Amino acid sequence: MKNLINILDNYSGIDGYRVIEKTVKSYELFFVHRDLETVRSTDTTSTEVTVYVKHDGFEGDSVFHVFKSMTDGDIKNKIKTAAARALLVSNQPYELPDKGELEAELPTNLDKYEPETLGRMIADAVYDADTEPGGSINALEIFIYRDTTHVINSRGVDKKQTVNRVMIEAIPTFTDEKQSVELYEDYRFTVFDKEKLTAEIAEKMKEVADRYKAEKPGRELNINVVLRPHETAWLCGELAYDCNYRAIYMHANLHKEGDVLQTGDGDKINLTMRGVIEGSENAAFFDGDGASLKDTQIIKDGVVCGSYGAVRFGQYLGIKEPSGALGCLELGAGTLTDEEIEKEPYIECASMSGIQIDLYNDYIGGEIRLAYLHENGAVTPITGITMSAKLSEVLSNLRLSEKTDVMRNYKGPVKLLMKGVSVL
Amino acid sequence: MPFSTYLDGIRGDCRELVAQLGRHFEYVSILGTDVRSTAYNADRKMSNARDNEGECGFVIKMHSGRSFYEYSCDDISADKKALAEKITNAVKTDGALDDRRIKTAEISDEPMIKDFVRENDFDKYSDEYLLKVCKDISDKLCAKDEKVLNAICAIQTHTVSKLFVTKNRELSQYYGWANGGKFVIYNDGKMVQARKSEGAGTLAEIIEKLYKGLDEVIDLAKHLTKAEPVKPGVYDVITDSSITGLIAHEAFGHGVEMDQFVKDRAMAKHCVGQYVASPITNMHDGAAAAQSVASYFFDDDGVLAHDTQIIKDGILVAGLSDLGSATQLGTEPTGNGRRDNYRRKAYSRMTNTFFSKGTDKLEDMIASVKHGYMLFETNNGMEDPKNWQIQCTAEYGIEIKDGKLTENYVSPVVMSGSVPELLKSISMISDEFEIHGSGFCGKGYKEWVRVSDGGPNLKARVKLG
Repeated sequence: MKNLINILDNYSGIDGYRVIEKTVKSYELFFVHRDLETVRSTDTTSTEVTVYVKHDGFEGDSVFHVFKSMTDGDIKNKIKTAAARALLVSNQPYELPDKGELEAELPTNLDKYEPETLGRMIADAVYDADTEPGGSINALEIFIYRDTTHVINSRGVDKKQTVNRVMIEAIPTFTDEKQSVELYEDYRFTVFDKEKLTAEIAEKMKEVADRYKAEKPGRELNINVVLRPHETAWLCGELAYDCNYRAIYMHANLHKEGDVLQTGDGDKINLTMRGVIEGSENAAFFDGDGASLKDTQIIKDGVVCGSYGAVRFGQYLGIKEPSGALGCLELGAGTLTDEEIEKEPYIECASMSGIQIDLYNDYIGGEIRLAYLHENGAVTPITGITMSAKLSEVLSNLRLSEKTDVMRNYKGPVKLLMKGVSVL
Repeated sequence: MPFSTYLDGIRGDCRELVAQLGRHFEYVSILGTDVRSTAYNADRKMSNARDNEGECGFVIKMHSGRSFYEYSCDDISADKKALAEKITNAVKTDGALDDRRIKTAEISDEPMIKDFVRENDFDKYSDEYLLKVCKDISDKLCAKDEKVLNAICAIQTHTVSKLFVTKNRELSQYYGWANGGKFVIYNDGKMVQARKSEGAGTLAEIIEKLYKGLDEVIDLAKHLTKAEPVKPGVYDVITDSSITGLIAHEAFGHGVEMDQFVKDRAMAKHCVGQYVASPITNMHDGAAAAQSVASYFFDDDGVLAHDTQIIKDGILVAGLSDLGSATQLGTEPTGNGRRDNYRRKAYSRMTNTFFSKGTDKLEDMIASVKHGYMLFETNNGMEDPKNWQIQCTAEYGIEIKDGKLTENYVSPVVMSGSVPELLKSISMISDEFEIHGSGFCGKGYKEWVRVSDGGPNLKARVKLG
């Protein structure tokens, strides 16, 4: 890195630069059923350089990548090519963030163990949940990462952040002589809690047994549908992208500040973009420009109230203090209790193929692999169904649970209730 | 640009490291990658000419007679004895796992030394020219209609150099691919996006394709402003070649990736030799099965590219395997071992996946539909190989009434349901054929690789919602 910065500092044909160096060290275990198939380890670094050239009242920029295989001569040639490309580009100028030094590490307990010990402990935690008769875990992949991101720019930013994280992909399966069914699940955490992990996998083992029992309902339904955090986070992500500086600058945003998203009497949406959510692997103290992050509320009581994003597009929009590229979402808690949910028949989506949300076409829907139909005091697992609804109507009348949790980059209600959804 | 001079110069280091690690492992391979990608784009407000994320590094694969071991790094030029020791230490496991290892057949290391090259025309075009093409197309699209809020045109080139070395094998390959796309944001009371993506082996083809169909993209945008979501129900549908490819890929392709057979994650494992589709259906996959974005000479396990017939006359006849799954199943690998990049594991992955063409005329197929939809342009899909459910989303559909396409557009269109029901419902297959080479495919939600898919038009009966 020092050599690269030295070359950039001494190159006369550019007006600025930004370097993002990402080092990833990983230890990975791949199990087939209960047997170890593959052990992997990685130690790699990727380096992305952006150079900026001012010309004719405009600014051009261009990106290249530096590999370990490159000599100083190769790097200088790359800078030369990038500078020439930047001269072809006539974009609106913007200022990179200036000054600021930081070296931070997100809280974790993962670094207390040797990787091979932690890998075995995680495997034990997962397989300890494999106690359901007929159940099994047909595949398990464990990824233990230590990621370090280092951003340096020509205006005095020098910031480094390290994240220790684990990603697990587990496939709970239920088999008997007639058929076999599975659910796909992934888990991500920055703090290892054996009991919590075993309990979460055990819950999925119960659900896959339910998928085995599940049947397609004999009728078309128009019913309340409850989403879990995975799908709610996806919905929030779509709403958030619509408020991103870049989307606004590119005229790709559907809504603007002051637009009312909710006209019904449901719980009001309060959505805030955050840099850090405790326990999230997406938590960050700075973005790719090295800009400090400023938490920003983008939807308040169902009304679009703000925007967020990288400093470049923030400056293009004339925003004095751009938020930086915030990566975490917090959806405010609602008022919905479990007792209220039970007042009307509903289905709770436990596993979807992938929720489909289209703001432009006012659509929300998707195939449901496993859901629970709560009706007349009975709970019945169902499968083979597809839901669809108008997104605007869902937003207007949705209800949000009081109880919240953290999943990936999302913190918010554990249940989102959509009213009157068509289920075929 | 020819094969990577860096990789060419490090062949000796690879051989030396293979020999050093060969003292401890029964089988050792090294895959060196040097992948470069350049992107050009322009819209109403901005433009860009830049390198996309490429890769340059190594993955060393070892086999002990039982488990596999892999180590990914950026450089192997250091002292080989010390590096071999570092690698061996990095992949050690907790002692409690010693008795929990898979058993496999011996890995074949057939001798072969060969260099493969597929030329392209990327060096014939300057950065300035390609950026000018993007700006020109963006300007032309913006000028066509005042309701165009923004129009984006993008071109990407992608070159791949890979070196594969074992004790008995030394292979190299160089090939390239280009992509292009035009994309319009349009507002006529309702805001919509309309796009057209292209893939080809040369920039000449991409530029020609980008200049074609400008009016069609605007026309599509206009129609999409009037589009409504489809009324949920079961319909007769005619697919365009993109949606045919999506069905081939999601409905069945993932289900015959044989690493899923090893894990008992694919229903197809139990259906080889059985009817899984209508008897008029034939399906292939392979890096050598078509010339498109996933056409390479050897896979990331050093296995030569194949053309695998998956479905023959409606009967499932074969799956797709990487070295690891084939070794565990006792079969021959089919050249489908692919990595997202050198930092990631190889899995059994699709390449160019398609249904073979039939004998029907598209107009006859449309005429045969009393009420249904013709579906166009892949948006996304998700596999479920164990339970054979699918979800495929088309960008849009056009209603067919009494055998004729109408002016009624629907969007988005989500197809879902049972894979065998869908495939067995295929009743007509057109005599046209097209492969689309602009897509990426994940395994679950990760491990992205470039794939192509396509085929003829199909007539089938599916659930839309």
